[in-house]
Amino acid sequence: MFNSMCHSLGLIEFGGFGSMLQDLMLLRSTDRIIAFAIMYQCYPSQKPSVNPFVSDMMNAACNEQVEKHERAFILHLLQWNSYNKSKEILKLSAVDYIKSFDPSTHDFPELGELQREYGDKAGSGPSSHIAADYAVKKLLHDPDVPRGCDPNSPEFDVQPGGNPKIGCGDRDEAVTGILGSLTTGGLAPRWIRPCPPRYPVHQSELLWIDPDNKHELIWDDKMCADTSRGATVRDLLVKGLKVTLSPSEQEDITTALANDAKLVYHCGITPRKLPQLVEHNPQIAVEILTKLINSPEIVDYFTALVSMDMSLHSMEVVNRLTTAVELPKEFIRMYITNCISSCENAKQDKYMQNRLVRLVCVFLQSLIRNNIIDVKDLFIEVQAFCIDFSRIREAAGLFRLLKTLE
Amino acid sequence: MDSIPSDAARDGSICDEAIVLSVTCALAKDALSYFQSGKFHECIDILIQLNHKKRNDPKVLHNMAIAEYFKNACSNSKKLLEDLNTVKKQSEELAKEPLEAVNPASNVSVSKDLFDSTVTTLNIAVTWFHLHQYAKCLSILDPLFLNIEPLDETIALQICFLMLDSALACHDAVKFLEVFGHLDKSFGVGFGTHEEIGSTMQLSSNQVSKTSSLLSSSAASDALKSDLAAAESGLCEEGLEYDNVLAEIEAEKRMKPVGHIPANNLLKTIGERSILTVDVKLELQLYKVRFLLLTRNVKLAKREVKHAMNIAQKRDSSMALLLKSQLEYAHGNHRKAIKLLLVSGIQKELRTSGIFNNNLGCIYYQLGKYQAASVLFSNALRNCSSLRKDNPVKLFSLSQDKSLLITYNCGVLYLACGKPLLAAQCFQKASLVFCRQPLLWLRIAECCILALQKGLLEGGNTSSDRSEIRVHVIGKGKWRQLMMEENGFVELGGSAQWPKLSLPLARVCLSNSMYLLNVSLMNDSKSDLESPLSVMINDTKEASWSDHGDANTNSELKEAKGGMNQDIIQNSLSAYKDIRRRENHLLKQALLANMAYVELELENPIKALSAANSLLQLPDSSKIYVFLGHIYAAEALCLLNRPGEAGAHLSAYLLGQEDFKLPFAQEDFDPWRMNMSSDCEETSDCSTGNARDSLKPEEARGALFANLAALFATQGHYDQAKPFIQHALTVLPNNVQATITAVYIDLMVGRSQDAVARLKQCTRVSFVPGRLEVRAS
Repeated sequence: MFNSMCHSLGLIEFGGFGSMLQDLMLLRSTDRIIAFAIMYQCYPSQKPSVNPFVSDMMNAACNEQVEKHERAFILHLLQWNSYNKSKEILKLSAVDYIKSFDPSTHDFPELGELQREYGDKAGSGPSSHIAADYAVKKLLHDPDVPRGCDPNSPEFDVQPGGNPKIGCGDRDEAVTGILGSLTTGGLAPRWIRPCPPRYPVHQSELLWIDPDNKHELIWDDKMCADTSRGATVRDLLVKGLKVTLSPSEQEDITTALANDAKLVYHCGITPRKLPQLVEHNPQIAVEILTKLINSPEIVDYFTALVSMDMSLHSMEVVNRLTTAVELPKEFIRMYITNCISSCENAKQDKYMQNRLVRLVCVFLQSLIRNNIIDVKDLFIEVQAFCIDFSRIREAAGLFRLLKTLE
Repeated sequence: MDSIPSDAARDGSICDEAIVLSVTCALAKDALSYFQSGKFHECIDILIQLNHKKRNDPKVLHNMAIAEYFKNACSNSKKLLEDLNTVKKQSEELAKEPLEAVNPASNVSVSKDLFDSTVTTLNIAVTWFHLHQYAKCLSILDPLFLNIEPLDETIALQICFLMLDSALACHDAVKFLEVFGHLDKSFGVGFGTHEEIGSTMQLSSNQVSKTSSLLSSSAASDALKSDLAAAESGLCEEGLEYDNVLAEIEAEKRMKPVGHIPANNLLKTIGERSILTVDVKLELQLYKVRFLLLTRNVKLAKREVKHAMNIAQKRDSSMALLLKSQLEYAHGNHRKAIKLLLVSGIQKELRTSGIFNNNLGCIYYQLGKYQAASVLFSNALRNCSSLRKDNPVKLFSLSQDKSLLITYNCGVLYLACGKPLLAAQCFQKASLVFCRQPLLWLRIAECCILALQKGLLEGGNTSSDRSEIRVHVIGKGKWRQLMMEENGFVELGGSAQWPKLSLPLARVCLSNSMYLLNVSLMNDSKSDLESPLSVMINDTKEASWSDHGDANTNSELKEAKGGMNQDIIQNSLSAYKDIRRRENHLLKQALLANMAYVELELENPIKALSAANSLLQLPDSSKIYVFLGHIYAAEALCLLNRPGEAGAHLSAYLLGQEDFKLPFAQEDFDPWRMNMSSDCEETSDCSTGNARDSLKPEEARGALFANLAALFATQGHYDQAKPFIQHALTVLPNNVQATITAVYIDLMVGRSQDAVARLKQCTRVSFVPGRLEVRAS
């Protein structure tokens, strides 16, 4: 008998099953006994305390309103007080069990005792949060049904063949209906969880489109093109690294550079080669440097110019550059410092030294007169230089110029 | 190497060399002319011959790749990129060799031009640009830009314009200024070339009256008049207006073209220098306006766009008008924006009609007229697809294909209309372009959340659609029972196709978005440190000083009138950076709030708590997000069985013993307000967009009541919970969650009559008959 019931109720979800059992009115006593048997049979080999329904069973066992035979039945299932007849009892049918029940042989423990024995699990199921633990059963009696109405009285039962009366109902229909609607979990307090507002749409998020320029793929028209662009200039400049070029050759270079603004980047003069060009063709060097002034590499050219050996030509180049373009202040300063130290280092050859000093003095005077440098920046350095070489006429002249500016 | 002419010359037989040279030269010319006339088959035949004569010349291979690409109707961009990259590598290797040569003197005359890969690099960048990979395009062009001085002017201009367009597309104001500064130096329109502005200022008053008379339609043509009438009347009634506009556009199409060709064809006329400089001048002025629009400096943009109109008056002013329209749009003057958009005439050309429809759609969206906007956007998409079908295919028509951008707009629109599935599809398509933008991912996550709320998610009925309570009435007569079911049963739409949206997807999108946001924040702070801009600006400042020398006092006066000096640019940029910082901050708050919400929905209170806590730790957060942070943290803590801490979060808003203050005000809902200029003419329009999605402050207060009640109830303090739930239900009479909590409390204190009465009062409860038939057992 139990087995057949097991089968028909086997699909019921456990949580709801428990809550339905708490409702005394709904199931007949025999049904309830069967239900508890099923609960037990789901976990027959384990200790009762492991059974997830143990709290339901305990509650029923201690409920005074529950029929004694039912409570005793549960105590047997729980093996309370070393009751060990559960196997025999389960062999009986529910009706036979109730008939054979003898209330005098049983005493009923308090709920507390049972809880101590089988653990104090307030709820059941896998849920971990307290809201679920506090869930209440979802099933209510319809309050429109009068309180005093005893559903077990046959008065309003549906009579086979008879006309249904108002208020009549069928227990089985209700039970199956409930079983059909049951879901896990009880009714718990619910939190209001406001949805985050949509991230505001700024007008710039909507894409306003402007037509682009036509970015077409381009054909490389240098393919197989005449590579002689600037070849003559390049060849002339190679020559110019070694000898001074003739005026007409210089003219050729200047015109070619003027005609093609970008040619200067392709003429083959690298910072490394610049000093040679400066020594032999200072005018061409000035021309090239002036055109390279926007190049990102111009600093390298300047560095090459500063670090090359001092000479009339390098000074000429720098002097001309100062009038043609705006040179970085640090560069001019470094160059002057370099000039002064070259003069001091040329001690072995007095003649060379004198010549250098005179050149530097003339160079400095020209810079000062053209307002290229601010004397204040270099005053002490230049003054010391003038005093060191006061025996030379040009140095004395420079010294006087400094004094007038003071 | 052997076949390269200059080397061959060294080997002797100059005569042979010359013949070879002239032959290849002639072939190259033929190839070019075939290419230009679109005969790509013939062109490739010649290139193959050339390749036989000059084995592995990178330039021949390069042109071959380009011609092949066009021959195949621009269909295989991937192959083009591979080919171009191979050519680039090859020419770079060849370029290294002469430098490695020991004796520098002997190699001096070998031109490096032969192995110059500039054109190849530019073409690679162009290809990426057309694939909408703007950041990549910029990074490829960067090395070229660093060494741009030696390059030919035409190529240099092309590089710079491509960089400007890419920088605009990436919203990269700093990079934009870097490039613009260079162009400014070389072509001298500039931010503040004084005499130019001085002279045009005199002109401009004249000119302004001209344009305004144009707008008031007194002197305009009939077509224009009806355009304006359509626009005007349109604003009154949505449906009608839209038809009018469409009818006008149709009418325009039937008329012969008026000869408005948007600027931008300057690169073809580059031969003559005078034309070049003038057109570049206009172009730069237009770019300047676009920069100001990007940095949202509306005031200055207004002035500069006038200047652009002056320059453009003799040629083509459609682009200037379009920018003017955009300006009014940005300013919130939507009527004016519509007028200008119509006047610009871009709707008349097939190439730009999609752009017209899109932009008009943007305006209608801002007006809150979603229906019209959606029609316009779908028209725009149709325009684009018809452009794609054009024959012969031109590459620029690919770049004119803005369909992915329009698709993004559609996504925003659908989301606003409450159509999360469509919106998500749009965003997913647009992700090809925008996948690096954090906002895109947030929007997709929002689609998921909206779908969840609408019960459109797979398995939505089990997760938590909590919009309704159902009470099943089971059994009859004396057996009648009530079964409460808080999870409403979701009716699934007829289609068997399930959307791919889900909460786990939302979670992934949010973390993507957060990642991208953090990366961009890191980059921002880095670029602040480096700040190449200030250096650049100082440079140009010095240059302009030296140019104008002693005229300084004079020019300063003019500058104050109409010019735009570096300080203003700098201010504009730093103001823009501020705006971006604020937006990113808000975005971060939104992301964290959404994360906490999604984690709660996914029943993962630990993660939800950590997101909510990070949200609360952000400084200067919006009050709305602070509120959400508290409420999510409280719920997560409650779920984690830490009711004490949960209570602390809620009671932050407690006013006295039993009352809550409003956690935020309605004004807090307008975070964009601050960006709006105060002299916005149609203020009523500004707020329409946001109103629908907001959480009302009063509702938030109700939520606090209900949640504190729920917290008390779970702790068993029913007496304390009762007044709070009563308050909650007064504020939110039909709230499902609050009703359930109230029912719970009633049941717990044994008042099931009250509980049922409550259920009957709530309008969102439906009583449904039991679903199972009685079966004879």
